Amino acid sequence: MSSTPSTAVTGFAAWWQAIRRDRKATIGAIILAVFLLVAGVGPWLVGDPDALVGIPLQPPSTSHWLGTTGQGQDVLAQLVAGTRVSLAIGFGVGLTVVLVGALVGVTAGYLGGRVDALLSLLFNVFLVIPGLPLAIVIAAYLPSGPLTLGFVLVVTGWAWNARVVRAQTLAQRKRDFVAAAVVAGESSFRIVTREILPTMTSLLLAQVIGSTVYAIGAQVGLEFLGLGDVSTITWGTNLYWAQNDSALLTGAWWTFAPTGLCVALVGFGLTMLNSGFDEITNPRLQLERAWRAHLRLRGEEPTRSTPVVMDVG
Amino acid sequence: MRFVLRRLGFYLVAAWAALTLNFFLPRLMPGDPASALFARFAGRVSPEALQALRETFGLTDASIFSQYVTYLRHVLTGEFGISVAYFPTPVSTVIGTGLFWTIFLAGSAVLVSFTLGTLLGILAAWRRRGWVDTWLPSTFVFLGAFPYFWLAMVALYVFGFLLGWFPLGHAYGDDLAPGFNLTFLTDVARHAALPIATVVIATLGGWLLTMRNTMIGVLGSDYVNLARAKGLTPSRVVLRYAARNALLPSVTGFGMALGYVLGGSLLTEIVFSYPGQGYLLVQAVRNQDYPLMQGIFLVITLAVLGANWLVDLVYVWLDPRTREAS
Amino acid sequence: MDEPLLSIRDLCVDYVSEAGCVRAVDHVTLDVSRAEIVGVAGESGSGKSTLAQALLRILPPPAIISGGEARFEGRDILTLSETELRELRWRRISMVFQSAMDSLNPVISIGEQIVDTLVAHGAATRQEARSRAAELLEMVGIPAPRVDAYAHQLSGGMRQRVGIALALALEPALVILDEPTTALDVIVEREILQQIRGLQEKLGFAVLFITHDLARMLQFSDRVAVFYAAQLVELAPAAELRRAPRHPYTEGLLRAFPSVQSDADEPESIPGAPPSLLSPPAACRFHPRCDRVQAICRERQPDLIQLGPRRAAACHLAE
Repeated sequence: MSSTPSTAVTGFAAWWQAIRRDRKATIGAIILAVFLLVAGVGPWLVGDPDALVGIPLQPPSTSHWLGTTGQGQDVLAQLVAGTRVSLAIGFGVGLTVVLVGALVGVTAGYLGGRVDALLSLLFNVFLVIPGLPLAIVIAAYLPSGPLTLGFVLVVTGWAWNARVVRAQTLAQRKRDFVAAAVVAGESSFRIVTREILPTMTSLLLAQVIGSTVYAIGAQVGLEFLGLGDVSTITWGTNLYWAQNDSALLTGAWWTFAPTGLCVALVGFGLTMLNSGFDEITNPRLQLERAWRAHLRLRGEEPTRSTPVVMDVG
Repeated sequence: MRFVLRRLGFYLVAAWAALTLNFFLPRLMPGDPASALFARFAGRVSPEALQALRETFGLTDASIFSQYVTYLRHVLTGEFGISVAYFPTPVSTVIGTGLFWTIFLAGSAVLVSFTLGTLLGILAAWRRRGWVDTWLPSTFVFLGAFPYFWLAMVALYVFGFLLGWFPLGHAYGDDLAPGFNLTFLTDVARHAALPIATVVIATLGGWLLTMRNTMIGVLGSDYVNLARAKGLTPSRVVLRYAARNALLPSVTGFGMALGYVLGGSLLTEIVFSYPGQGYLLVQAVRNQDYPLMQGIFLVITLAVLGANWLVDLVYVWLDPRTREAS
Repeated sequence: MDEPLLSIRDLCVDYVSEAGCVRAVDHVTLDVSRAEIVGVAGESGSGKSTLAQALLRILPPPAIISGGEARFEGRDILTLSETELRELRWRRISMVFQSAMDSLNPVISIGEQIVDTLVAHGAATRQEARSRAAELLEMVGIPAPRVDAYAHQLSGGMRQRVGIALALALEPALVILDEPTTALDVIVEREILQQIRGLQEKLGFAVLFITHDLARMLQFSDRVAVFYAAQLVELAPAAELRRAPRHPYTEGLLRAFPSVQSDADEPESIPGAPPSLLSPPAACRFHPRCDRVQAICRERQPDLIQLGPRRAAACHLAE
């Protein structure tokens, strides 16, 4: 059951093939690639985002494509600089959240008994305690900055993943090959890392994507409240300053509209990628698609009752 | 009954955990927020008042255990201390002014969103690849990817600022006295329309997709196939034999999403200067008003736990398997 | 002999996949007369359950019916409209599903599920339907007050009885039993089969009885059809099939059930495994496992040949 490097490579190639075949996944992957490119090289292509380059609250023009902020900075430069920080925090938190969730979930599901009861209680409690108010209370006590933000987002975001991974672990434990490994006297660590976790690769991947969407949204929300470090440039602080500078009441839509659009595009792209993966990995949906294509090819409509297409004389 | 009581026990544990977290958070944090807090008060209140404040906040020289007991007693009697931002009003009074508006806003938004999203999800699964199924899920996933408060800003800008169809903020007009009359209620509805609509638009897609995907699974189950074999009409098969079963995971999700939606709703309040907990929360953050912040956290947590329990009651009503005495 | 109740001719059912179609029922021809019990035997994956659901046209995607005809009471089921199918379903043909646990809706009481069926076909008003549901349950040995029970409150045997009561609710002409007792222990299984037999004698419906348990089938059925790899390989009255099977696969099946052949002391399984329907063996599909394989078996697919008024087999050796 252990995966060799060659299967990992073909696995990756297969994923790439699958992404290209599914329309949703392709759209998601393209959107994501564009933003990663902007985050990677964008900051070198635009000017200093902190520089005061013109009259405050100028609408978009040829010299400032997205206008200027209430302080007179270039909105585009700030947007691009914010993309890098926000995506870094988003993906970092997304990964950490899944790591923590997987660790707790596997431990609870594999060890069972009291450990399971205790850990399950813990994540169930964290699931029902509303995240944003808790995040605000914790963040308010800590020095503001990306680390605080990341910490708070992990604390409020890990529970759901732990719950799902625990359920999966319980299901996997009952499988024959795990039972065989236990009988063969393999160590728990080896069983978990070699037998159980590899079966959850696609689940964990989906969780990373989902958690990143959560992390970006929650991060922007907290920073909008003023709980981030308002002197660093991120998507959230951009919106914070837009609100602070009364962008709405002065009609300066360009100071908040592009940022929100970027947040939504990244979230949309990630979600599309995820639902594309779901369709790729869900055999039922795949078969149903082949069935529809087969019927359409013969000029028949899919019907509720089993369709009759006379192929055989 | 057993299920309901077990859940009640769980919410009590969760409430206790939230209370305890609330107590230990300030004491675990680096630095000394308590000193910072009292430094702000110094000179503004008499030493006796300061001492009283220390006691209500639980920061006395007593042992941590007796501090904890004092804290629990205070919280259970509704005493959360004195607000810094609204000094010297007690936190409980400050929270009381906004609690109704928050519950009204978040409650109506979440109910409208859940009902509408679930119905559309049923429709999408029923007419696979139909108009609803092709366009609505992607559209609402896209809309749902916007931060709630950003949608609120755009809505306010377009429909309030540019078009002037809706008021620019607050829960009701300044010139109206609250009362149970048509003029006042219409005005409240007009003020709530945009905030509710933005939260609904941002959350609808989640319910739609959840319901659609569960429905597709349930429609492939044996019991739905039997219902088809029985010669029932498609609408009866879908609504009576599939939808009710498919609703169960959505209801579970509803309870868990409450806290999340409420968070988004708080941010929306801020954009619309809606006089609820979200607005108070910003005031608390800006003024480093820790007692108010923690009070809001506790009240909101308790409200969410209570709502979750109500959701469990609905679940029991929907699923006879939870009604077993054994 | 007058016209049979159900007359299946060259029926084909395909499962569509991205790699191509898999034929799960391949040119099956079979008749069922009024009040007759016809057993369908075969290993799992031989297409017998697919055949059952195809007759009601309730096979979910990715299945399509790709050929043949299935005349029931003079009308071809394959040409019926959705409305006509709805009228046919349950009123004329009903079915007991393999797993009662999965086929009964967990959140609707068993009584309501029977009432729904009666009301949908205009057989009764809601008030009448309720007492009729209680009667039906009593008929299969479930006390009337349990009409308000839910599936999870009943034992496995009870649930399967509910399935039978439901199947008989509209007094259909044909009841399909799709492995109705697989999940039950031997004693409950026998009780239930006896009950069905009794009801069948009383009410006079025909039965298409699907199972992999040849021993049960031979006791229970008038005639038996044996399926192998999506095809019908032998058809004979139960007693004749038991005494003198004409297809080597049937012989193998009989040897595999020691209780069937009294002289066999040890059950003997057929060597090899059933073929994949994605790439079935050429010519006779059984030839790789057959102990009497001839050259012709590898070259030409045998036709189903009539070996008497009520017997047929698809084997070159039977000619």
